[in-house]
Amino acid sequence: MRVTICIGSACHLKGSRDIIAQLQTLVKENHLEDKVDLNGSFCCGDCVNGVCVTVEGQLYSLKPEDTKEFFDKEIMGRL
Amino acid sequence: MATNDATLLRIKHQVLNEVAKLAWEGKLDEKRNEIPYNIIPGPKAQFRCCIYREREIIRERIRLAEGLCPSGRDTKNVVQVISSACEDCPIARYVVTDNCQLCMGKACQSSCNFGAISMGRDRAYIDPDKCKECGKCSQACPYNAIADLTRPCKKSCPVDAITMDENGIVVIDESKCIQCGACIHGCPFGAIDSKTFLVDVINLINAGKRVVAMVAPATEGQYGPEITMASWRTALKKIGFQDMIEVALGGDLTAAAEAAEWAEAYKEGRKMTTSCCPAFVNMIKQHYPMLLENMSTTVSPMCAVSRMLKEKDPETITVFIGPCIAKKSETLDLNIKDNADYALTLGEIQAMMASKGVELEPEENTYQAGSVFGKRFGNGGGVTAAVLECLKESGESTDIEVLKCNGAAECKKALMLLKIGRLPGDFIEGMACVGGCVGGPSRHKSENEAKKARDLLIKQADGREVHENLRNQGLEEVAMHRH
Repeated sequence: MRVTICIGSACHLKGSRDIIAQLQTLVKENHLEDKVDLNGSFCCGDCVNGVCVTVEGQLYSLKPEDTKEFFDKEIMGRL
Repeated sequence: MATNDATLLRIKHQVLNEVAKLAWEGKLDEKRNEIPYNIIPGPKAQFRCCIYREREIIRERIRLAEGLCPSGRDTKNVVQVISSACEDCPIARYVVTDNCQLCMGKACQSSCNFGAISMGRDRAYIDPDKCKECGKCSQACPYNAIADLTRPCKKSCPVDAITMDENGIVVIDESKCIQCGACIHGCPFGAIDSKTFLVDVINLINAGKRVVAMVAPATEGQYGPEITMASWRTALKKIGFQDMIEVALGGDLTAAAEAAEWAEAYKEGRKMTTSCCPAFVNMIKQHYPMLLENMSTTVSPMCAVSRMLKEKDPETITVFIGPCIAKKSETLDLNIKDNADYALTLGEIQAMMASKGVELEPEENTYQAGSVFGKRFGNGGGVTAAVLECLKESGESTDIEVLKCNGAAECKKALMLLKIGRLPGDFIEGMACVGGCVGGPSRHKSENEAKKARDLLIKQADGREVHENLRNQGLEEVAMHRH
């Protein structure tokens, strides 16, 4: 499963690095290294909302504090 | 740099400079649309058919400079086609030229297995519907009359990732592309280039973040014998980087970890490949996934230095600077923890400096973080030399055979041999660029042009050993594996 997190400067300032670190830890804890492929993405221009995250191409707008809930629902939910 | 078009580099750097300048001033959103008119004022066209096309090319280049896809259609590739700049070069690959004597031997005709060649009135004729582009006729002709007109972009691609759409415009097959960047300078019309992190890095410096530069070992010597690593550090600090570390130190870290890995693999009779060249890693992942378990799990020198910096201060933003395009794709692989946040090419960092009026100035070489072996990591054979040095230092056997692959074509051949179990050696050193990183697509000078200055600068470094260097800097505990 391809997951992308925007690493552009706007998303960086909104906490994308924190989201990345949380997702890396969650993937490791759940032993999903072979199933979940975490990728950075260049800015896609949608900088008005939260951090741009996509799962299999579908765009979500995320805040760092919602990462765990997002992981359970959108990533674990699809596996 | 020796290149096939000086105009092209001028335009490219002009766009990067203008974008960087506006980004520093925080006026990019407001004034972005003025750039095409500043560079192409008209009314006369400078390098293409008309000013409207020229301005469209500039617009697409601005998008790339901002990290966006030029076409507006978002795809994940770092290397992108600037379609308005593509000249849809002729695609009939083999063409009979005037040299044809319509001779009696007709080696072309007898060499063709597909019956594609007939004799015309003045010269032989190749039926494009039957031709399979095998090239036999071209090799067979005693007059060299059959020209190979492969499009330069296609010719430069080592993994056959370049195709054409129905209008003859280049399309990159992203499932095959390894982001090596060879096509960028292969195209004489400048129709291919890469997305940049230029604006992101400027924004983060402007926002007051702790941004640290990591300069590739291949950079040493690129700007003459007087531009030292100390010169780089001074210039980068002037434009707002908090500090600069030479990635040669990461070369030492990677060599030490890889030596331990190789020694173990050698004892177990396992064959192994290096993992520091990102385009080579992409080649394994995308074209030889069955060989992933043969790939070293040691992280690249770039990642090693980034981890070292983030261990000290987790808030640090790490930016790699070098002649490499594929490093940008390595920073996007978030399965590797704490790797560099961004990668910039030499041209991009030059634009960041020039737009602030900062230049690299001669300075005494007072800064050395890596050993000579780490500094040579960016040369073909340099990784092997550093790993062998580490094995020697720790008293292991250095009696191993390494296939040093110089360029993507050689890498491909070696991986193929490894795949079928016929590799004539124990290890593969994979470097996707000919000459190693010093031959990278975004080099400022070619390997030969820079050699003298590079040798001179590296000669000034002290002769510290790799392990000794890491011990003295307290770096023996840096996490050096991918996962």
